Amino acid sequence: MRGWTRPVAALGLATALLAVAACGRDAEGAQDEGPGTAVSDGPATGEINIWAMGAEGEKLSALVDGFTKDNPGATVKVTPIPWDGAHDKISTAIAGGETPDVALIGTTWMGEFARTGGLDPTPENLIKPADFYPGAWDTTVVNGTSYGVPWYVETRLFYVNSDVARKAGVDTPPSSWEELKAAITAMQDKGGADWGVSLQPGKTGSWQSVLPFVWQNGGAIQRDDGSFAFDTPEATAALEYYKSFFTEKLSPADLPQGALEPDFVKGKIGSFISGPWHIGILKEQGFEGKYEVWNMPTKVSGTSFVGGGDLAVFKDAKNRDGAWKFVSYLSRPDVQATWFQTIGDLPAVKSAWEDPALKADPMLAAFGTQLNDAKSPPTIATWDQIAAGFDDLMEQLVKTDMTAAEMAKSAQEQATSIGTGG
Amino acid sequence: MSAVTTVDSPAKRRPRDRVAKLVLHAVLAVGLLVMVGPFLWMLLSSFKSEGEIREVPPTWWPRRLTIGNYADLFDRLDFPAYFTNSVVVATAVTAGNLVLCSAAGYALAKMRFPGRGTLLGLVLGTVMVPGMVTFVPLFVLVSKMGLTNTFAGLILPFLVGAFGVFFMRQFIQSIPDELIESARIDGAGEVRIFWRIILPLCRPALATLGILTFLGSWNNFLWPLVIATTEDKYTLPVALALYSVGQNETDYGLLLAGSVVVVVPVLVVFILLQRHFVRGIATTGLK
Amino acid sequence: MTARPQDAALRRGRRAARLRRAVTGWGFVSPFTILFAVFMAGPVLISLAMSFTDMRSADVRDPLGVNFVGLDQYAKVFGDPLFLKASGNTAFFVLVGVPLTMAAGLAVALGLNSGLTRFKTVFRVGYYLPVVTSIVAVSVVWRFLLQPDTGLVNGLLGLVGVDGPNWLDDENLSLPSLVVMAAWRNLGFQMVIFLAGLQAIPANLYEAARLDGASRRQQFRHVTLPMLRPTMLFVAVITTISYLQFFEESYVMTQGGPLNSTLSVSFHVFKQFGFGNYGYASAMSYVLFVAIVALSLLWFRLLKRKDQ
Repeated sequence: MRGWTRPVAALGLATALLAVAACGRDAEGAQDEGPGTAVSDGPATGEINIWAMGAEGEKLSALVDGFTKDNPGATVKVTPIPWDGAHDKISTAIAGGETPDVALIGTTWMGEFARTGGLDPTPENLIKPADFYPGAWDTTVVNGTSYGVPWYVETRLFYVNSDVARKAGVDTPPSSWEELKAAITAMQDKGGADWGVSLQPGKTGSWQSVLPFVWQNGGAIQRDDGSFAFDTPEATAALEYYKSFFTEKLSPADLPQGALEPDFVKGKIGSFISGPWHIGILKEQGFEGKYEVWNMPTKVSGTSFVGGGDLAVFKDAKNRDGAWKFVSYLSRPDVQATWFQTIGDLPAVKSAWEDPALKADPMLAAFGTQLNDAKSPPTIATWDQIAAGFDDLMEQLVKTDMTAAEMAKSAQEQATSIGTGG
Repeated sequence: MSAVTTVDSPAKRRPRDRVAKLVLHAVLAVGLLVMVGPFLWMLLSSFKSEGEIREVPPTWWPRRLTIGNYADLFDRLDFPAYFTNSVVVATAVTAGNLVLCSAAGYALAKMRFPGRGTLLGLVLGTVMVPGMVTFVPLFVLVSKMGLTNTFAGLILPFLVGAFGVFFMRQFIQSIPDELIESARIDGAGEVRIFWRIILPLCRPALATLGILTFLGSWNNFLWPLVIATTEDKYTLPVALALYSVGQNETDYGLLLAGSVVVVVPVLVVFILLQRHFVRGIATTGLK
Repeated sequence: MTARPQDAALRRGRRAARLRRAVTGWGFVSPFTILFAVFMAGPVLISLAMSFTDMRSADVRDPLGVNFVGLDQYAKVFGDPLFLKASGNTAFFVLVGVPLTMAAGLAVALGLNSGLTRFKTVFRVGYYLPVVTSIVAVSVVWRFLLQPDTGLVNGLLGLVGVDGPNWLDDENLSLPSLVVMAAWRNLGFQMVIFLAGLQAIPANLYEAARLDGASRRQQFRHVTLPMLRPTMLFVAVITTISYLQFFEESYVMTQGGPLNSTLSVSFHVFKQFGFGNYGYASAMSYVLFVAIVALSLLWFRLLKRKDQ
């Protein structure tokens, strides 16, 4: 056992030395970098390396030919990376200075990565913010500076079993909170559903279903001065409304994982909130055409959540100008429309929705409408942590006798103690 | 074959033994079902459509057999390339662990030399450091050495393991000293003793360590993911994760088919090596 | 009176022998030691240093530009209610899980090692399958088994008239469910090591015991168990180490819920790394490390061979 003490002592000594070597922070704090330097005119040249996740990474090469036709001096190399672990891969790449030129970045990661100083500010001469849905553009703006462009978007709507809705006598989408509650109650009482709706009872990502109600009620996550606003009357009332679906037994609180889609198809669950990917999932279950989507109800506003993916250029990019030119190409309305046809990602550029393929489909049109009124969480570096704490509290709100006011207070305290990470 | 049965006196115990043996087989067989069930479900479900996999309650036998998931998988992935990368990395890592860890384990178990206690303490200490904590520092270190996107970067950090040394040391410790002493008296050098006496006696341990190391390296996901910056250095688990897990949804068909594909080589290695578990000292050494 | 020159020669000889021993010893360990120092000890030291700073993921491009905060992160760990909750969960997991898995693994190894004449390979491979089966597939099947209405487990309970609970969504049952699942998943690993250990027991010891008239049970107690001690020590330590770091099961089955009843320390650390709190997550890791060391020392004490 004697062998144990010496290594431990050695470790301690080494640590002390390392600790002294760490020099301390510069008092830089929150910095507004301002827009990126202008990108050169003329076609792109050289190799452009891009990382993109999953199906996006697999299919992106299909768009490359169109780019290299106009930029014959450039080549684009796409490396697909898995979504699973993508966050770690990008953050270690920034740490090691081993980044590609461009990468697809989940919208909620922007705040964290921008703060590493590893992302290049968006050059104003190439990208026009007004082209994009405002909620989506906001995901790129960190401390007043934009660090990328939205590539594709998703937003959340109600998926409703048409059969159940018809039996319940619900012909038109409810337009207010009261109407929504009434419609869901009717689907359960008259429509034959065991549950009128399945709302997420806390757990990972539930904030994406809850915050829209806060926004609809005129609430916000942060006040203008940057302090958190989880405990405002608006937010508290929204939490109260959300909880009421559980206390009134309109939504299950412990639905087993994987049971949602089959129960929805069987009419046991009348409705649920989700994004456009459920179109594909329900198609696989052979349920195409047997359901409808509702936009969010309106209280003060009819706001939903907007997510998706942004494209960012790295500070360590070897071909910065080429990278931005490729990003700008991907934001062209016609390329955005082609991309939708290739993979089904909804365009982040507004004018791309004029494309007949998008306009003709009423299901998609509903998503298009909702995108005009959709928000994203603040791009603060600590958002993931605050959101996870919020999810924990949501579970307590829904499953225990915690009141909305208690929950709002705890969420506020928690967020304030975590802070915004500089 | 095993020690206990061979030393039983056959004449005295036969009738009772037969019953006991039957009971033992039955109990182990029931246990086997419990152990194998999920694997079977994984195998069968990989031949189902996405809709059927998601059904609640799940089905066992596919209503309609489809090889669509596998076709999709092999169609979308450059399978031979990823498979080769995985084999190269896992084989190198396993070989390195077997040779280097058993050598170090032998020295730590049977030799007295200055610094031995310290080294052993450091090794044990490292086994006990939670793995995640060193991930980022290790990556920065390896990238500063210029080893990102190289096989060296994929292999070197795992070429030895604190676990392997600990395991081999424990095993070698149980080899009687007399064997080594008598070889020393016969004039054999340490290398010769290691090679001719220790390693053959260690066959069950080496087979075990080989399987565990191979499995660990074969399934390693996060390290190859961050080290390989271009597709041509991806290993199988990284490539398989590419299209099965999306931003908001999971393709279970691809996931299960991929899981089956990735498990086959490990099973082959296990089946090849497991026979060595029973050929150790019990049958070869110690007359 | 010729002792003195002999003594000197002997001492010289001894010194030479000691030198030779040092050279051969280090010859055997140096390839390992070099790789170990660079790729394992190095990152361990850096991460330990990290735990005394306020480093966050935003600092990765300038890791030296962080503040040294002394033991602040460690102090924060013990004031973190989630850490305390996770510690309790982890302690339960280890205290119940380690003995359960070891007993099961040893039982299977003994079963496969004695008396089994047929299908040896089938059994060995079968019991090892959960170790190699993808955790995702495992989680799908286990969730199916534990489903409240349609699950196999509650179906069987229903046969004997018991109304089965919602295993994974009950605050009191979720963690025990995961312990059983972990035991199921890991016993193959233990079986393999125990099999190797059982094979290392010389057959002549059993022979001698039998000649002394020892029954099977006595052989087990007086030959198998004592001879298996190094293996047991190894398995106990390794299992304790891995169970103190359990998180895969709760990651895929319950995401730490319901109401954090299956949140483990490792899962908490994992999340903190994900949130980018490198300094804090490192400090928590080293608190966990101390627990691992303490429990391992306990095992060494309990299972150390008497003759050493």
